[in-house]
Amino acid sequence: MKRLNSLKGVRVLLALLFFIPILLFFVDFSGSLPPSVHHLLEAQVMPALMWMMWGVVLFHVIFTFVFGRLYCSTLCPAGVLQDIINHLLCRFRKKKNGTYRFSFHKPLNILRYSILVLTGISVFAGVLNLYLLLDPYSNFGRIASNLFRPLVMWCNNGAAEILMKMDNYSLYQVTINTVTLAGFLSGVIALSLFIGLTVWRGRLFCNSVCPVGAFLSLFSRYSLFRISFDPSSCTHCGLCERTCKAEAIDSKNLHVDASRCVDCFNCISSCAKGGLQYRFRPDLLHKPDSAPAKTDASTCDSNRRDFLKTGVTLAATLPAVSALAQATDKAQTEDPHKWPPITPPGSLSIESFKDMCTGCHLCVTQCPSQVLRPAGFEYGFDYLLKPHMSYKNSYCNYECTVCSDICPAHAIRKISKEEKATTQIGIANFFIERCIVNTENTDCGACSEHCPTQAVQMVPFKGTLTIPHVNPDLCIGCGGCESICPVRPLRAIMIKSNEIHVKVEKPKDEEKKEVEVTDFGF
Amino acid sequence: MKRRDFLKTSALAGAALTLNFEGLQAALASNTMAVEAVPDLVAVMGGEPDVMLDKALEALGGISKYVKKGQKVVIKPNIGWDRTPEMAGNTNPKLVEALVKKCLAAGAQKVTVFDHTCDNWQKCYETSGIADAVKKAGGIIMPANDEKYFKDVAIPGGIKLKSAKIHEALVEADAWINVPVLKNHGGAKMTCAMKNYMGIVWDRRYFHQNDLQQCIADICTWQKRPVLNIVDAYRIMHQNGPQGKSLSDVATLKSLIVSPNIVAIDTAALSLFNQVKKLDIEAVSHIGRGEANHLGTTDLKSLNIKRIKI
Repeated sequence: MKRLNSLKGVRVLLALLFFIPILLFFVDFSGSLPPSVHHLLEAQVMPALMWMMWGVVLFHVIFTFVFGRLYCSTLCPAGVLQDIINHLLCRFRKKKNGTYRFSFHKPLNILRYSILVLTGISVFAGVLNLYLLLDPYSNFGRIASNLFRPLVMWCNNGAAEILMKMDNYSLYQVTINTVTLAGFLSGVIALSLFIGLTVWRGRLFCNSVCPVGAFLSLFSRYSLFRISFDPSSCTHCGLCERTCKAEAIDSKNLHVDASRCVDCFNCISSCAKGGLQYRFRPDLLHKPDSAPAKTDASTCDSNRRDFLKTGVTLAATLPAVSALAQATDKAQTEDPHKWPPITPPGSLSIESFKDMCTGCHLCVTQCPSQVLRPAGFEYGFDYLLKPHMSYKNSYCNYECTVCSDICPAHAIRKISKEEKATTQIGIANFFIERCIVNTENTDCGACSEHCPTQAVQMVPFKGTLTIPHVNPDLCIGCGGCESICPVRPLRAIMIKSNEIHVKVEKPKDEEKKEVEVTDFGF
Repeated sequence: MKRRDFLKTSALAGAALTLNFEGLQAALASNTMAVEAVPDLVAVMGGEPDVMLDKALEALGGISKYVKKGQKVVIKPNIGWDRTPEMAGNTNPKLVEALVKKCLAAGAQKVTVFDHTCDNWQKCYETSGIADAVKKAGGIIMPANDEKYFKDVAIPGGIKLKSAKIHEALVEADAWINVPVLKNHGGAKMTCAMKNYMGIVWDRRYFHQNDLQQCIADICTWQKRPVLNIVDAYRIMHQNGPQGKSLSDVATLKSLIVSPNIVAIDTAALSLFNQVKKLDIEAVSHIGRGEANHLGTTDLKSLNIKRIKI
């Protein structure tokens, strides 16, 4: 017997209001959604931490302290994705095996708070990349951009082909080339993890692995509004416990673990008698709701102790960890394969970008030129899954600042078109020994043709032939030249990244000379 | 002598095969037209793009001489760059619009416009003003951003380029009009009618790898030739081409050249260009190689040229 439950309705509505635009934003390859959708992502906890947007973090802390972990059921796209997986599972299985398949488990406090502390260290020390690997939003982003998005594009291509036969070009063929092996695997692993854990034990990810969940649980356990039992109406049927995705309801002891409850309100619907209610129940001293007073208080104390212990131990290991990271810094070489990654304009430097990027791949999906690609291990472990500029078959459009406008972690700071046009992210290196003009004695000039700043110009060579010449003071490293150079396997012109971005002068406008032509000349 | 031979063989062949004299009559008709001195090349100066187009086509005997009722027509402008019309990076949208209208008025079944762009194709189509112009005129603006839109075609007349992937709209077209803009070009030195062919192919890298100038001359030997070349020289980019970086690269010549002869039109365009910036025809070697490929003549004196000033 189900009970009408407006709270659940509100939760689902909020979840869809956030989830659908976020999902569409990730899979939209046509740029038809307004770019302002990205503001929804600035409310995500991990990117806000990266950006040191303390206001957002503080808001979530206070909100969670008042209402509990509603964040995990509405704003967090990974949380909502797990709810959707769970919902689908319930649909396909019989009610008993689906909806009512959970049972109360003790919290895995040591695990979740160790991960939280380690993640905290990785955020502030900028090592180990844990925040990138575990952040729920970024994992969702990688699933959406590396799995859902190509799927949508692939369907689009099918539909476009059909429409094309009718001379309708409202849909057009799109090339899927931003999905790298590393990106694809990260999406597959994250999605399998979410599906596996959800099928097995509901919101286990959120309550044992997710650092954001663990962080919010520190406040939700004291939350003012919470779900609690009404002992007078409870018939001890246990339905609520079996419907709780968070496995946080102990129906024997009439206790709801507010640190793990994600405010999905499913339990309230499950109870025909109204035995569970969401209400104002301040619990600042963390007194238990009812009977199991002693046991609960002691576990809580030991939890806190565990938490502090792990924290101190891990903090002590911090210098060693960062020393390790320092040692692996690679030496500069002339071999282009070993050049450091090129980071997008607005990211200021490789270090700064590396420290702030959570690898959500939003920029990868939004770049109209498809120039940003997620890295594998080629730039080291601490660059894993972070995007870099790949000039294999496209380049950074001179007039475009999309990635800097939408980065939720502000790892790519917002820059204007003028700033972009004078930000040098790398410099073109020309290798005359490989250039077609030199080796084949034929005209080419593709590189110069694509240079938006005239940094690559054709200068006289042999006879009427002209050969490229790079003016490093004008080059901004957009990759126009490299992307079009026909020489293989190594191209004759390649961008070497600036580890710290540099300001260059804007090419000066020559004075416009008025030419008076009154005849055809032939 | 030649004409007499031609008539004799045509008559014999016609009689021998089907006794159908339609082909012969058409040949005769066009021969008479030539005698009536339809110019080989028309150059117009001093008007707006649509007005100059009117004048030029009028001198050439009207659009219906080139575009027939029920034909699928392709117009191929240069839409290579994310540049506004003032920057002269692309063909003038007013010219494209007027031309689409003319073709439709001549009874074309449909008029398709595309270019394989260098910059992001949607930005190019939009910023150039050409997408809007085509839609306004009732034509179809078609994407060319993916290999799927291109079909393998043999280029038997090519020296370096023996085959290419050409846009399917063009492969399926009954007639097409080549509408380049005249510009300086870092690689080919000048881009005009012949160079504009690079926007109909998918794999341009092959061109750059295998003697760019020769490949340009080779692709122009593809058997389906444009019925007309229309060079937009309303604004020309005389330096820093093909992208240009500022308005100082642009000169306003308010000119238009029209001819079915692609080598002649590029030679004429170069002469026009030379009044703004010095450029040797030897440097733009695809023109000479085009002549060697029997695509036309660089000897403008041998042609009947009509010059119109407005």
